Amino acid sequence: MTDEMLRAPAEVKYAEELDWLESIDDGPKPFSWRLSPRMVRLFVLGSERSDGLDREVAQKWFGDRSFVERSIVTLASDRGLLLIGDPGTGKSWLAELLSAAISRNSTLVVQGTAGTTEDHVKYSWNVSMVIAQGQSRASMIPSPIMTAMERGVIGRFEELTRSTSDVQDALISILSEKYVSIPELDEDGIVFAQPGFSIIATANSRDRGVNDLSSALKRRFNFVRVPVVTSKRSEAEIVRFRTTELMRRHRIELDLPPTLLDILLQSFADLRAAAASATSDDERLESALSTAEQIGVLEDAVLHSQFFGDRTLRARTLASSLVGSLARRSPEDLAILNKFWHGVVEPRGRKDEDGPWREFLDGGREAIAALS
Amino acid sequence: MSEPFGALRDQLLGAAAAFGDGPDAVPEILAGMVEDVDRALREELEIFPVCHHSPASALAMARRLRDKRPKVVYLELCEDLAPLLPELRNCSLPVALQAFATETEGLPAEWAPLSVVAPITEASAEYQAIAYALDTPDVELVLVDRSADHVFQWTPRAPESGTDGAPGADADADADAADADEAALHGDAVGIEIGDLRPRFAELEAHLLHHGKVRHWSEWWDQYVEQPLTGADHATYRQVMVMIGSLFRRLRPARGTAGDRDEDRERYMWTRMREHLAASGADPADCLYVCGAFHAASRVEQFGLHPEPGAEPFEITPRTETEWLYGLIPSSHSAIEAQFGLASGSVSIAAATWEKAVRRGGVTPFRLNGQKGAKGAKGAKSAKPRTTARKAVEDTGGAAEVADRLTGFLSRPPALDELDEAELLGWCVDIVRLARRNGYPASTADAIAVFETSVLLAGMRNRARPTPYDFQDAAVTCIEKDTVPGRRDVRRLCEILLGGDRIGQVGYESLPPLARDVIDRLEPLGLDLGKRTIQRALLDLDARPELVPCSHLLWILRRLLPGGAARPIMGSRRLGERSVQESWDLAIGREQRALVELGYEGVTVEQVLEQRLRRAVADPEGTAATALDAVEDSILYLGGRRFTGELGRRAVELLAAERTVDEAPEVLRRMRRLLTHYRATEPELPEWCAAFVTAGYAHYCTLLPTAFVDEGTGVRQVAAMLGFLFSMESLALSLGCDRAQLEIAVAQSHPEEPAKSALLWAARFQLGALSLADLRERCDGLLANPLVLPAFPRYLNGFVQALEPAPGLTPLVVEVMSKAFGRLPDAVLLPWLPKLITTLRAQAPDLVPPLIREAGRTFPATLAGVDAWDPPWSGRPAPAEAAAPAVNAPVAALLSSHPAACDAVAVLLGHEPVWQAPDALGPAASPAVAALLAAHPATAEALAALP
Repeated sequence: MTDEMLRAPAEVKYAEELDWLESIDDGPKPFSWRLSPRMVRLFVLGSERSDGLDREVAQKWFGDRSFVERSIVTLASDRGLLLIGDPGTGKSWLAELLSAAISRNSTLVVQGTAGTTEDHVKYSWNVSMVIAQGQSRASMIPSPIMTAMERGVIGRFEELTRSTSDVQDALISILSEKYVSIPELDEDGIVFAQPGFSIIATANSRDRGVNDLSSALKRRFNFVRVPVVTSKRSEAEIVRFRTTELMRRHRIELDLPPTLLDILLQSFADLRAAAASATSDDERLESALSTAEQIGVLEDAVLHSQFFGDRTLRARTLASSLVGSLARRSPEDLAILNKFWHGVVEPRGRKDEDGPWREFLDGGREAIAALS
Repeated sequence: MSEPFGALRDQLLGAAAAFGDGPDAVPEILAGMVEDVDRALREELEIFPVCHHSPASALAMARRLRDKRPKVVYLELCEDLAPLLPELRNCSLPVALQAFATETEGLPAEWAPLSVVAPITEASAEYQAIAYALDTPDVELVLVDRSADHVFQWTPRAPESGTDGAPGADADADADAADADEAALHGDAVGIEIGDLRPRFAELEAHLLHHGKVRHWSEWWDQYVEQPLTGADHATYRQVMVMIGSLFRRLRPARGTAGDRDEDRERYMWTRMREHLAASGADPADCLYVCGAFHAASRVEQFGLHPEPGAEPFEITPRTETEWLYGLIPSSHSAIEAQFGLASGSVSIAAATWEKAVRRGGVTPFRLNGQKGAKGAKGAKSAKPRTTARKAVEDTGGAAEVADRLTGFLSRPPALDELDEAELLGWCVDIVRLARRNGYPASTADAIAVFETSVLLAGMRNRARPTPYDFQDAAVTCIEKDTVPGRRDVRRLCEILLGGDRIGQVGYESLPPLARDVIDRLEPLGLDLGKRTIQRALLDLDARPELVPCSHLLWILRRLLPGGAARPIMGSRRLGERSVQESWDLAIGREQRALVELGYEGVTVEQVLEQRLRRAVADPEGTAATALDAVEDSILYLGGRRFTGELGRRAVELLAAERTVDEAPEVLRRMRRLLTHYRATEPELPEWCAAFVTAGYAHYCTLLPTAFVDEGTGVRQVAAMLGFLFSMESLALSLGCDRAQLEIAVAQSHPEEPAKSALLWAARFQLGALSLADLRERCDGLLANPLVLPAFPRYLNGFVQALEPAPGLTPLVVEVMSKAFGRLPDAVLLPWLPKLITTLRAQAPDLVPPLIREAGRTFPATLAGVDAWDPPWSGRPAPAEAAAPAVNAPVAALLSSHPAACDAVAVLLGHEPVWQAPDALGPAASPAVAALLAAHPATAEALAALP
């Protein structure tokens, strides 16, 4: 099944591992959870020797242990979980892993956009069936959230703060009364949530102020702030993990030279430091410089080398995809990158004659020149 | 060997063989740990291992002391701090015992001042031992660790190591304390802690934290040692602690210097104890040795009352000559955490745990009689020794009855503490209340959620009872939303809730005499100076003259204490000024440490100030300027004429001995101020003042020629020398100096630098050797010469500086500057402008007022005036080109016969009244004029009719 999908959801991708974990799990499980909280943690954060398991469970989300613990515990409690953080910090991935581990279904997702309506959160009607048979449960189309309620599993709401306030507020009754009433139906007009239902929402902290959550809704969510990864080691781990996965998806066989990975991480670290010391938005790249952005840059470079290059990842390609992905505003971003290239990359390139930094320097210069 | 731990050893070795891959260090370490425990427990003198900030240690200590009632308690604490211990009862804990030395003798001088602090908290085992020993009759408390002096003696003298991080001290003193006010309570002292127990290298700690699934070391300790041991019996406690000490001892970097010092300390302590036992003849069975678990698992050959045969006696090096002073300074939980690198809040949590354990009962803690800040705990005397049957069993003392409790402890699953629902509920309700007060929209629903989440989190982390850390995480999860509404976030609120920072205070009786004196003398202000807040004192000195001494004292304190202790809001103290009203912000309670440390220097603040001033002028690096500063301070704060004279005479000496003139501007400024002061207040100048002026006159005259040519001497310095010479000339001459000296000095000066040349011209002008016209001519010449034009700004610099010594030159300076602005090309002018501005700004009080005044006189004040304005200096060259007299002969004749009016008008307009000879006035008038006059004769006739 995995082979036929461009991107398999976590519960499909790790189905075998989840089955195995479920088979050995003897801990107490809340509600209808498929795994106990400790096993969920183990699934997300990977196993260690001291866990005494027969097989190794790979780490799938990289970050502080306490974030995962707090998230799992929140799902076991009465409240919804709101993962909040900068773009690209792995919020959605964590949400997917959690719902896959807890309810083996991570696809009950509502995507919050400016066009999301209350129908997307509650239910809508199949108009032709309503005309033919009248309003009934059969002619009703339940939303993913309602489906999650009925089944007692985890529902997800991506980018909660992108949707408008009235849509957000539709969640209040779902989260507090745990039922949705369907006034159109005379009988069977209430859908009650089964035990085990909860909601994982994600929100982008850069969107703050667009559609602020009402305090009533805030009260019904526990906030877990996911920070930008700053530890170089775990960031390298994440980038490698995700890129390998992406390459597998594209069926690309390509080596990721560790030096290039280092260059990429170092450049991002430098750019983040520059952004942190900048005083105005004009001196800051528009990009949040998140880990996801790095993965994007690397993926772009890999694809480029695969299809237009000599099937080897080169520093030159990496440089041009870095410039290409980060230069969003002209001239501000280009000016920052130009400054970065001359002030930071150039000394390194000079020191590292004939090395990858040199090539990176040249590639970046060409890309900047081509864009300006 | 029939030993109690044989079985355990075999089991561990078996395990090591089964799980270890090949021969490695694991079996050795495991067996060694068992051996260490065995050895420590076999020792005739009972060793009581402790860990710092561990309520379990404190509880076990209290229990053991009540059971055993030892006659002698040996404590791992600097032996020279002993006299301070009885003073603890006057203080509210935590306070720190401090050993302080301002000057070093036999230790590197750059380390000074040396300071060692040993913080004492109430929830500590050592406090239990101290309280027991001090308040129980016939019990002797002996401190056996190396003295504060040895702490520094043993510090390696590598150039990069300062007092911080001294390996002899127990902790990494990298107090990152700059950010928090409270955290800086200990200053930059080296911290000493009893019972430091922590992995000695980062990887081990990281490993333990990782596998323990905890975040901080304190949390690990709490979960894996503290809680299991809280209710443990004495034997288990002792064995487990020694084992942990042994574990960290065996897993540490090999052969580090720090390790060697640890062993030296053990040798030191055992030597001291043997000495004491031999001298006092006490029975070892009646003694108790309290030391860190790390030292209990010692393997030094001098270990024990009967060291290994062949062990060389440890020779204790004598102390250096450094004179140590001792006192108590206030401490705080956060200061301790910062100094010893503990997780924030951990000491507070330990204190809370201790209080809870005490409340729960089972053990009555010891407490010094009259201890301040008492919270309902009973005094030591109320506790009667319990003589139960258990005591006989437990009080083993010797080695024979040591039973293996370790096996049981290690193999038992963690004894889970029961969920203390009431306590957790209390926390949940309190945190919600606290959060509301800090702006969070928290409600009862949140309290419920926090409770539920805490229990779930604890369950996830293998605990039945949520620890404070679990509670903190739960509170953050449930209450913290996307923004922090107030000053504090939920994490900080939890820390406050779970104990908060406690700041100790040294009681009045334990303060040094100086501090007590200060507090007594500030009594009339009517403020409680013990408070840690900033207090405003208002002093109306006219209405309440009795406050004048207070004001005086406050000014001295401001001079001596760091920044915030006493800060004047209104009022100032400068020469020639007296405040009628003053208002002060006082934070003497908060700066208690600074006040205590001031107390090490003298008995009264006046004495300390006097000493400091004396030291400042006696300093080999001292200069005349610093000496004059000291003189000024002595006048302002002390007022003794004799002492001021002494400092003044020293200033004269220093001036005469100076070979550079770098400080000339300072000397000039201060001396001028002092002279003004003396002229206003004294009938005649003090002797030293006269001596200073004459010496200065001669000194600067002598140095002037060199200073003019020396490249290292700046223009400002030379200008200040000239300023001194000219402005004090009359005084110096009246005191017998010779002006010829100055004239010769100026004549000998041949500067090459343009700025100094300009200064020299100014000096010569001031001496009358150069006229203003000549000077102006020179300047014009410079401006006209394209070759020197680029250097002209440098001349100007000199002229600007010359404003000080030669105020008469101000019009010329304005003139030259105007010309420069008018004529210099931009390429020359613009690069110089910033320099001019910075110079003027730096010396604004001296240079700007005369310049502005003169410019105001010279330039027109209105815009219209500027258009019509002609610079006064530009009109001068053409006075003779008056218009050809277009007058008739009679008019000319009339005017020349009555010249007074015209002369007056000419003078008024600034022209020389020059008359042309009458015969030059030919009938050159135009016919038109003649015709006009002929046609209208009335005017001429009226003129002719004038008398």
